[in-house]
Amino acid sequence: MRRIVVRFALVLAALAAASAHADLNIGIVISATGPAASVGVTQQRTVPLLPRTVAGEKVNYILLDDASDTSTTVKNVRKLISEYQIDALVGPSLTPNSLALLDVLAETGTPMISLAGSGAIVEPVDAKRRWAFKTPQSDTLMATIVVKHMVETGIKRVAFIGFNDAYGEGWWREFSKLAELRKLEVVANERYTRTDTSVAGQVLRVVAANPDAVFIAASGTPAVLPQVTLVERGYKGKVYQTHGVANNDFLRVGGAKLEGTFVPAGPVLVAEQLRDDHPAKAPSLEFIKKYEAIPGAGSRSTFAAYLWDASLLLQDAVPRALKQGGKPGTPEFRKALRDAIETGKDVRATNGVFNMSATDHIGLDQRSRVMTRIEKGSWKYIGE
Amino acid sequence: MDAGTFQFLLQDGITSGAVYVLLAMALVMVFTVTRIVMVPQGEFVVFSVLTVAAFQQGLAPRLAWIVVGAALVATAMELAQRWIARDAAGLAGRLLALLALPLAAAALAVWAVDQSSPYAWQCVGAIALVTTLGPPVYRIAFRPLAGASPLVLLIAAIALHFLLVGLGLFAFGPEGSRLPGFTFEGPRIGDFRVSAQTVVVVAASAMLIGAMLLFFGQTLAGKALRATAVSRTGARLVGISPDSAGELSLTLAALVGAVSGVLIGPATTLYYDSGFILGLKGFVGAIFGGLAGYALAATGALGVGLLEAFASFWASAYKEIIVFTLIVPVLMWRALVDPHVDEEAA
Amino acid sequence: MTRRSCVAVVLAIAAVLPWLATPYQVTVLSFIGLYSMVALGLVLLTGVAGLISFGQAAFVGIGAYAAAYLSVALQWGAAATLLAAVAASSVCALCIGRLTLSMGGHYLSLATLAWGISVYYALGQIPALGGFNGLGGIPPLMLAGVSFASEVPMYYLILGCLCVGLVLVRNLLDSRPGRAIRALRSGAVLPESFGADTLRLKVAAFAVAAALAGVSGWLHAYMQRFVNPTPFGLNMGIEYLFMAVIGGVGSIFGAVAGAALVTVLKQQLQDWLPGLLGQAGNFEIVVFGALMLFVLARATGGVWPLLSRCMPAAPPMDTGALAGTALVPAQHGNGPDGEGAALLSVAGVVKRFGGLTAVDSVSFDVRAGEVVALLGPNGAGKSTMFNLVSGNLTPSAGEIRMRGRRIDGLRSREIAALGLARTFQHVKLAGDMSALENVAMGAYLRGRSGLLGAMLRLNRAEEAALRQTAARQLARCGLSECVTELAANLPLGRQRTLEVARALCADPALLLLDEPAAGLRHAEKDELARLLGQLRDEGVTILIVDHDMEFIMKIADRLVVMRFGQKIADGDPGDVRRDPVVQEAYLGA
Repeated sequence: MRRIVVRFALVLAALAAASAHADLNIGIVISATGPAASVGVTQQRTVPLLPRTVAGEKVNYILLDDASDTSTTVKNVRKLISEYQIDALVGPSLTPNSLALLDVLAETGTPMISLAGSGAIVEPVDAKRRWAFKTPQSDTLMATIVVKHMVETGIKRVAFIGFNDAYGEGWWREFSKLAELRKLEVVANERYTRTDTSVAGQVLRVVAANPDAVFIAASGTPAVLPQVTLVERGYKGKVYQTHGVANNDFLRVGGAKLEGTFVPAGPVLVAEQLRDDHPAKAPSLEFIKKYEAIPGAGSRSTFAAYLWDASLLLQDAVPRALKQGGKPGTPEFRKALRDAIETGKDVRATNGVFNMSATDHIGLDQRSRVMTRIEKGSWKYIGE
Repeated sequence: MDAGTFQFLLQDGITSGAVYVLLAMALVMVFTVTRIVMVPQGEFVVFSVLTVAAFQQGLAPRLAWIVVGAALVATAMELAQRWIARDAAGLAGRLLALLALPLAAAALAVWAVDQSSPYAWQCVGAIALVTTLGPPVYRIAFRPLAGASPLVLLIAAIALHFLLVGLGLFAFGPEGSRLPGFTFEGPRIGDFRVSAQTVVVVAASAMLIGAMLLFFGQTLAGKALRATAVSRTGARLVGISPDSAGELSLTLAALVGAVSGVLIGPATTLYYDSGFILGLKGFVGAIFGGLAGYALAATGALGVGLLEAFASFWASAYKEIIVFTLIVPVLMWRALVDPHVDEEAA
Repeated sequence: MTRRSCVAVVLAIAAVLPWLATPYQVTVLSFIGLYSMVALGLVLLTGVAGLISFGQAAFVGIGAYAAAYLSVALQWGAAATLLAAVAASSVCALCIGRLTLSMGGHYLSLATLAWGISVYYALGQIPALGGFNGLGGIPPLMLAGVSFASEVPMYYLILGCLCVGLVLVRNLLDSRPGRAIRALRSGAVLPESFGADTLRLKVAAFAVAAALAGVSGWLHAYMQRFVNPTPFGLNMGIEYLFMAVIGGVGSIFGAVAGAALVTVLKQQLQDWLPGLLGQAGNFEIVVFGALMLFVLARATGGVWPLLSRCMPAAPPMDTGALAGTALVPAQHGNGPDGEGAALLSVAGVVKRFGGLTAVDSVSFDVRAGEVVALLGPNGAGKSTMFNLVSGNLTPSAGEIRMRGRRIDGLRSREIAALGLARTFQHVKLAGDMSALENVAMGAYLRGRSGLLGAMLRLNRAEEAALRQTAARQLARCGLSECVTELAANLPLGRQRTLEVARALCADPALLLLDEPAAGLRHAEKDELARLLGQLRDEGVTILIVDHDMEFIMKIADRLVVMRFGQKIADGDPGDVRRDPVVQEAYLGA
C-alpha cells in the first residue's frame, strides 16, 4: 500500500513540463500522531482511496502529519503552499489547528476544507474566513439534535462530563447555550483528561446531582471510561455521547455497558438503515465499501468520511474552476476554486447534502445528522 | 461529603496510587543502579496490556516483530563492537540475553499463544515479550552512554521514549483497550465492599515494595547493584560489571512494568501513549523518595493517587493544576528534610 | 581566518538566506530562531548553573499570551506588549524561583515539570484567553512604523533578537556575576565560600532564561497571529531541553546548533520517510528518536563541540591588559585589628553527628598576624573544625568569634563577607574556566556590578580591575605562566596553589588553608612555605591544616593538636613536638 506519491510525481510532472496541463496539488494535513491520533489515522488511511484524476486533471495528494500541535500545522501548511504550490488544503483534523491557519489562508489566498468540528472555524464568514470551509457537521448542529431529543423524551436535568481540552470546551459552549434556551437544567459540569485512568470523583459528583441524563462530550475510546464508571456506580438514567465516538473501537471497548446510549451521528454511520431516498445513502455505501476493503481498517469511520466528503466537494468544484480558465498552481485558480466551492449546489456526500453560500461555509442542513442508539453492540438508527 | 463518597474516593485514590507505586518502584530501582531516569517505564506497562488485548482480539502480536527487530539490532551492535575490540569473552552469555531469549519469547507469542489460549497464558506470553525487550533496549540506548552524566542519560531516555511510543502506535494503533476484569469478590470493610481490582493492585504493590527492600537492602547482589551507581570504577574493581548491573536492572524494570500492565489493564483503558503520564506520576512518587527510598517513593505515589481522586471530585476541570501545584510545597518540604548535600554536578 | 571573521561570515550568510530560500524555508529558519532563544536560556540554566528545567515552555506561553491578550483585548502596541511579555515571564520566574530554587537536583527538576503542566492547564482554563481553542486575531507586528507581518521581516526580527540574546548572555558569563553562576555547577559550597548568594544567583539565572523565553513567546504570537496552549505544554518543554543537550549545553552556540539540528531533521524526515518506507505508518518520531540516540552516543557533549573543532580556535586571552595597576579596593587585609588581638576565637565548640562527637569542647585562639597550624591524626576532627569555622557546618554548642563578632551559625558567605577565605581539602575549582577566571572568583565580594551591568557591558572598568587583581595574585603565587590555562588541565599541585591564589584574591583578614601542601613536590612546598611566610610578614592571619610536619615547622608560629575531637596541645611548635601526649597520639596505640 503506497502512501501518496510526493516528490516523484512532482519531478515527473516537472520533466513533462511540455504538457499544457499542470497537475492539481491538494495538500492534506491531519493529526496522525499525538492525542488526536485515533481521528487522524483513519483519515490517513482514506487518502489512498481518493481519485487520482478529476475532470481530466491528474491530482497529487501531499499528506503531512501535524502531531496534533498547532505550530506544526502552521509549518506544514506553509510548506505545502510554498514548496508544493497546493491549490487547496484538506484538513486539519482539529479545531485549534484550523483556527491557527486562518491568517495564512487569507494571506496566501488558499482555500481550506477543514475536517474539524467547531463552527468557529467558518463563522462568521469574514475576510479571514472567506477561505475556510468545513465538512463535519458543526457542534451546534449536533448539539441541537441531542437537546431536541432530550427535551422530546422528557428529560429535565442533565449532567455534563467532557474532555478537558478544545473538544470538550467547544461542546460545553454549544450545549450550555442550547440547554439554557430549551430550559434544560444542567446540574453538573465535570471534566477529565484523555489519559485519565479513573474518573471516580467526577462520576460521584454527577451521580450525586441526580440527573435524568448524562451527556459525555468526549471522542474515541476514552469516552468509554466515564460511561463504564457511571454504570458501575449504579447510574440507571440515560446517557448521550457525541458523534466523536462513532467508531467500532468504542463499541468494542465499552461492550455491554454501552447498551442504550444515544449517539448523534452523520448518516454514514447507519447508512444501511437509512431510507432509500435519503441523499446520503448512496455516497455513504460507496465510501463504506471502499473503506472497509482496506486491510486493517476495520469498519467505517465518520472521521474518515469527512475527508471523503471534502474530496467530493473538490470533485464538484474543480471542473467549474477549470472552466473559469484558471490553471492549477496559480493564485487565480485558487480563487476560482474557492468561488466554485462556495457556489456548489446539492453536493451529495456521506454526511448529507452540501449547499454552501457566501454566508454559510458549512452548507449542511437537517439531512446531515441522525440520532442513533447503541443496541446489542451495534448502531441503530432511530430518527432525525 | 458523606462517608460513602469518602470511602469510594479513598478506594479510587488507593487503586490509582498503587498503580503509580508500581511505576515509582521501577523508576527508583533503575535510578539507584544506573542513574537513568527511566522515562519509558510507562511504555513497558502499556505494551504488555495492549499485547494481551491483541491476543484477546485474535490479532497477531506486532510487538513480537519489534522485539525481534530490537534483538537483531542489539546483537549487531554487540558483535560489531566485539569484532573491533577482538574480544569474545562472555559472548555466549550476551547472545543469550540479546538474541536467544527475545527470539524465543517472540516465537512463543506468535506460535504458542492465540485467541483461544487461557487468559493467564496470554498474560504470560505478553510479559515474556516485554521482559525480553529489556536487554536489547539497554544495549542499544544506554550501553553506548555508559558513564555519561545523569542529564545526558535523561535525554537518552527521552529519545528512547519517543522511539517506543512511535513503535507503539505502529504496533497497536491509536485506539485503546481494556482487559477483562478480575471476577472474585473483594473483602468488606464495614459496609463498604473493596473491589477486586483494588485488592489485586494493592497486594501486588505491597509485595513488590517488600521484594525491592529485601533484595536491594539485604542481599549481596542487590547491594552490588546499588554500588555500581555510586562508582562504576569501584564496582569494576571488585568484580561487578556495571553493564550487567544496568542490563539486569532494566530487565527487572521491564518485568515489573509488564506485570503492572496486566494488573492495571482491567481497571482502565490504556492507549499507545498512556505510558508517559503514568510514568510521570510514578516519577513524582519516586522524587518524593529522593529517587533513593522505596518506602517514601511508595508513599509519594500513593499520595498522588489520593490527591488526584479527591481533586477530581472537588474541581475536576482544575484537577491537573491542583495536583501539580500542590506537589511544589511538598517537594520544598522534602528538600528541606533531605540531608543530601547538593554536590552533584550536572 | 580567525574566529571573529568566521562569526562574521555566518552572520552574513544568515542575513542573506531569505533571498535564497523559499518562503517555507524562511519560516523554518524563523522557528529555529525562536527555539534557539529558549534553548539559550536552558544553556544558561542547565549547562552553566546546573539546574535542569522542564518548564521553559511555560514561560514562552506566558510571553505569548501576554502579547496576544494585550494586543487583542486592550489594543496595546507591539513595544508595550514586548515589555509586558518580558516582565510577566521574569516576574513569574522570580516568584517561582524563590520558592523552588532552594531545592536541589531532582526536586528542582520535578518542580519545573509540575510548573510546566500547571501553566498549560491554567492557560486552557481561562475563558478570557480563549481556553483550549485559543486566541486568534492578533494584529500584525508594527514597530516604529515598520510592519513585520510577512515572513522575511519577521525572520530578520527574530534573527536580531537571537543575536542580541547571544551577546547579552555571553557578556553575562564573562563577568563577575557570570563567573559566580558558572561556579554553581560544581555545587553550592564553592560559590558560597567566596561570598556569592547561591539562591539569588540561581533565581537570577532562572529569570534571565525566563526573559529569553518570554521574548520568544512574544515573537511566536506575532508570527503565528494565533495562540493556544498546545505549543506551550510539557511536550515542548521536554523538547527544548532536548535541543539544548543535543546541541551541547556547554556553549551558548550549542543552543542554536541543537535547535537547528532538531528542527531541520524533523522537517526532512517528514519529506524522506514516506518515500523510503512507503507505508501508512508514522515513523518520523521513531527514526527521530533513533537518530538522537545515535547522536548522543557519538557526542555526549553535544553537537556544537564537534562543529567548533572545525572552526578556528578562539583567540587566546589578551594578557597584556593584565599588567595594569588599577585594582579593586582592598577589603579586609591589614585591618584595624593590630598585632596581638584575637582575630579568631573558638570557645568550647562541640559538634555532634548523631551519636558521634566529632569535635568535643575545643577552644583556641588565632591572633592577628599569626600562623596557627591545626594538627592531629586522621579522624581527629580537624576538617570538621575547619568547616565549623568557615560556616559550612553549624556547631552543636559553643561559640566562634571573628574580630569579636559571633560567626557560629552564620552562612559561609556571610562569614566570607567578614573577611574569611578558605581553600578545600578536595580541590574545588571550576575546571572549564581559566586559572585567571578561577582566581578572579575570589574577588567576588570586592566587585559590585550586577547582572544588568554585566549584560550591557557597563562593567568594563571594574572587570579590568578584577582581572588585574587576579593576575597580581597569580604572580604572587608563582603561577603567572598558567594564567590562560584551563583549571582542569593543571596538575594537582598547581591546582592547590591556584586555590590559595583565589583565597588571597579576596584580600582576607583570615586565611584558612586545608592541606595546601598535599600533592606538592618538594620544590613547590618550599615555594608555598615562602609565600605563606611572606603573607605572614604582610600581616595576613593564617589557620592551616596539614600533615607534613617539616612544612608546618617552617611556617607555623603556634601548633594546636587535636585527637578524637579534643584539643590535646596548644603552643610553641618546639614544645608541642616534644610533648609526650602528642607523641603518643601520633605514634602510640
